[in-house]
Amino acid sequence: MPITIHQPKPPRPLLSDLDPYNPLNVHDSDSDSSTGGGVDLSLPPKKPTSSLSHSGIVTPGEVITSDSQWMRGHGTYIPASTSDITSSLAGTITRTNKLISVRPLRARYTPEVGDLVVGRIVEVQAKRWRVDVGSTQLAALPLSAINLPGGILRKRTETDELQIRTFFAEGDLLVAEVQQLFQDGGAVLHTRSLKYGKLRNGVFVAVSGMGGGAGVVRSRRQVWTMDAANGAGQVDVILGVNGYVWISKHVETPAEVEGKPAPAGITNMEENVSATMYSSQNDRIETETMREIARLRGVITALVENGLRVDEEMVVRGYHEAVEMAMLSGEGQDDVYLGGERGEQLAAALTGK
Amino acid sequence: MPLDTSTYNLALLRVDGRRWNELRRINAQIRTQAAADGSSYLEMGHTKVMCVVTGPSEPGPRRGGVVGSAGGAGGGGGQSKDAEVVVNIVIAGFSSVDRKRRGRGDKRTLEMQSTVANALAASLHIHLFPHSQINVSLHVLSQDGSLLAALINAATLACVDAGIPMTDYVAACTAGSTSTYAANDESADPLLDMNHQEEQELPGLTVATMGDSDRVVALVCESRVQISRLEGMLVVGVDGCKQVREILDRVVREKGRRMIDEGTVEKGTGLNDMDVD
Amino acid sequence: MPREVEPSLNEKQFVLQALQENLRLDGREIDQYRPLELTFGDQYGVADVTLGKTRVLAKASAEVTVPYTDRPLDGIFTIATELSPMTSPAFELNRPTETEVLLSRLLEKTVRRSNALDTESLCLIAGQKCWSVRVDVHVLSHDGNLIDAACFAVVAALRHFRKPDTSMEGGVLTVYTPAEREPVPLSWLHSPFCITWSFFGDQGEIALLDATWVEEQIRVASCTISLNRHGEICQIAKLGGTPVDAVALLQCSGVALTKAKEFSTYLDGKLAEDTKKRNKGGLLAELSAENDR
Repeated sequence: MPITIHQPKPPRPLLSDLDPYNPLNVHDSDSDSSTGGGVDLSLPPKKPTSSLSHSGIVTPGEVITSDSQWMRGHGTYIPASTSDITSSLAGTITRTNKLISVRPLRARYTPEVGDLVVGRIVEVQAKRWRVDVGSTQLAALPLSAINLPGGILRKRTETDELQIRTFFAEGDLLVAEVQQLFQDGGAVLHTRSLKYGKLRNGVFVAVSGMGGGAGVVRSRRQVWTMDAANGAGQVDVILGVNGYVWISKHVETPAEVEGKPAPAGITNMEENVSATMYSSQNDRIETETMREIARLRGVITALVENGLRVDEEMVVRGYHEAVEMAMLSGEGQDDVYLGGERGEQLAAALTGK
Repeated sequence: MPLDTSTYNLALLRVDGRRWNELRRINAQIRTQAAADGSSYLEMGHTKVMCVVTGPSEPGPRRGGVVGSAGGAGGGGGQSKDAEVVVNIVIAGFSSVDRKRRGRGDKRTLEMQSTVANALAASLHIHLFPHSQINVSLHVLSQDGSLLAALINAATLACVDAGIPMTDYVAACTAGSTSTYAANDESADPLLDMNHQEEQELPGLTVATMGDSDRVVALVCESRVQISRLEGMLVVGVDGCKQVREILDRVVREKGRRMIDEGTVEKGTGLNDMDVD
Repeated sequence: MPREVEPSLNEKQFVLQALQENLRLDGREIDQYRPLELTFGDQYGVADVTLGKTRVLAKASAEVTVPYTDRPLDGIFTIATELSPMTSPAFELNRPTETEVLLSRLLEKTVRRSNALDTESLCLIAGQKCWSVRVDVHVLSHDGNLIDAACFAVVAALRHFRKPDTSMEGGVLTVYTPAEREPVPLSWLHSPFCITWSFFGDQGEIALLDATWVEEQIRVASCTISLNRHGEICQIAKLGGTPVDAVALLQCSGVALTKAKEFSTYLDGKLAEDTKKRNKGGLLAELSAENDR
């Protein structure tokens, strides 16, 4: 068997000699003798340079600019041995002065200090909880960063450590604020305000992701109380920046009840706080309220499904729209279904199309 | 299963009517699963693959996936500074002609898991997510050749969808050669993107490249072939990868454009004042 | 699970910097193997391969069994790999690590799928009796480049192996003991060898042959090419890792061919030497009436 063994050859000149054809053209039937195939290995390193004009989308590996006056931000990198700022994500370009970054079409939540988040306890450790906030890592909530019962400013004791599960146990939901970030992107939460703490009397909705995509956007107000229709009283909505949402029946805080005759002194009030703060028992919720909470939940999921942003304005408008839609439908106010076509209808009404 | 490849020399058409340098139709979608962080569905001819990416997230309990580290060697880092890429491949029993159950411990599947994990780890910027895990779950719905290539492409798309930073797309395809290893004729043509029949009959290899560069992330050849053929096959394969990358890129751009049109995503800031050369 | 200790950052940098200046820790050239040592056992089919401090033992054996129903005309050929805790505490029994899976897949693809052993010749009575040839690979010491050493050991063991002679007369199968008839070698078609390149540097621009364990822990990618001396590639496996230029890979395959030829020559020489040793004076010595006493 005669065998020819080709020496490892200097490939560039040799291969391009072999190749008179455009790689994408159909190979001419008469010229099949070239063993090298019809394709040039030594293509010049042409990288697609972003045209930036039409779609406005950049994709991974696309060179954004090779001008060295810009600085690279999130979602970009500079390949070794070049100075081209290259995108590492699929998304849109944002520019802050000289800083170029790419906002992804969709990504996991990245915590920032001051974010209001809704989270779920997944692990209880000796002196802290580990909280799922939908980020790349679990966030930590140290025992020292919560309001301890019996006085807001109290030193934590060993008894508290032993009773850590009485404050938050696995599966509990809470609203908190990001206090601090670790180098590796992990977050530390705190609940040192009466606004924060354990969540009850309501329903949890996870809105996938953030970034440029649909979902919760950082806005001025993430928490508000609104009047529900059909005599359901008031409803609280908490939009966590991380895309976790909590909708619940509004419960009057002791501070609000203050004017009324019941509470006596300031100490009494604090006891009152501690009694309810870490309770895992729901209050009594009327059917009407439940129905309106369900309707709000439907509004939020419909917003997400139809790719609309979720913020106070949209939710409130969507809710009123939904109430009207329900009135017009056959079943009246009991109709809380907002999936499928009805969701699209709602979205269309909101976007004014 | 003998296949009459002799007709190739007459019409220069392959069994499915393609020319030597033609890919099969590639059809891909991203964001197929709303609940996942990233998902994709990819068809290369009749090879159909689904992919779901979860993460980067806190590492959960190990479930028998294969870990990829950028090194691609010496065991996968553990509690390292980088995110772990864990790949699970499930091959559906109905995916091929003869129904065959593959257990979890099947070595071929394990090898593919390891290849996909290591290929992704080479492109993904895993150093940005220390102590976390990127879970890639691949399901093979139908097999008709170029399986590994389809798996790599689907995984890449899902990672793009999940918004995980990466150096570039990892695009893969297969290349073959028209005659079997025994025949030493010099006139053998390289073939692009082999289907199942061709894979059974002819020598071939799977190439995955980093974006549209000539840099090879993965190269897997499982059949006997003359060393002189390697060059031709590699060249055609690398070129095929560039075509595949274009196709994948188009899918992502199309999705992004639609999202902008629908107003889900705000347009990028005006860059017209930014001079680009 | 006990974990392999990773080299420290300084160690890694030291090795890398040395490599960038074309220096290896043990003073070898970039494409130079450590001294390869092959010893055959007293029995047929035992090969002990040492490559530097890496040591692999392969033992071939054969027995008569029933062939698989779907392949009645083929014999059975299996390669079993064993990475025991003896090699390194990171390996556990009955729990194949990634290294082990990849090793056994590579051996399988290199030796079995490339048809190095003619399995049809192992058939004795179609659908009823056939030889089952099995090679057990034991890694005794792991100092890098297991794959090349293991593959060499498997090929050496199989080529050295002799199976008992058989005959068929009137539907009666007779298996002769070595005393009755000289055992016969397997029907061997070609000898594939694995050559593993390891790549270093951010762009994978440095390529080494025969990496030691330290080098293996630092490498960014590896590519195993299996070929025989006729220049037939049996298998290529670059399973992910840092991308390497296609042209560099082609050059690697060229160098791999020369290495495979060297291996082949070395193995042929060793086999010839062994035959000579076993068969001292040839037929004449056996026939002579004199004995050593």
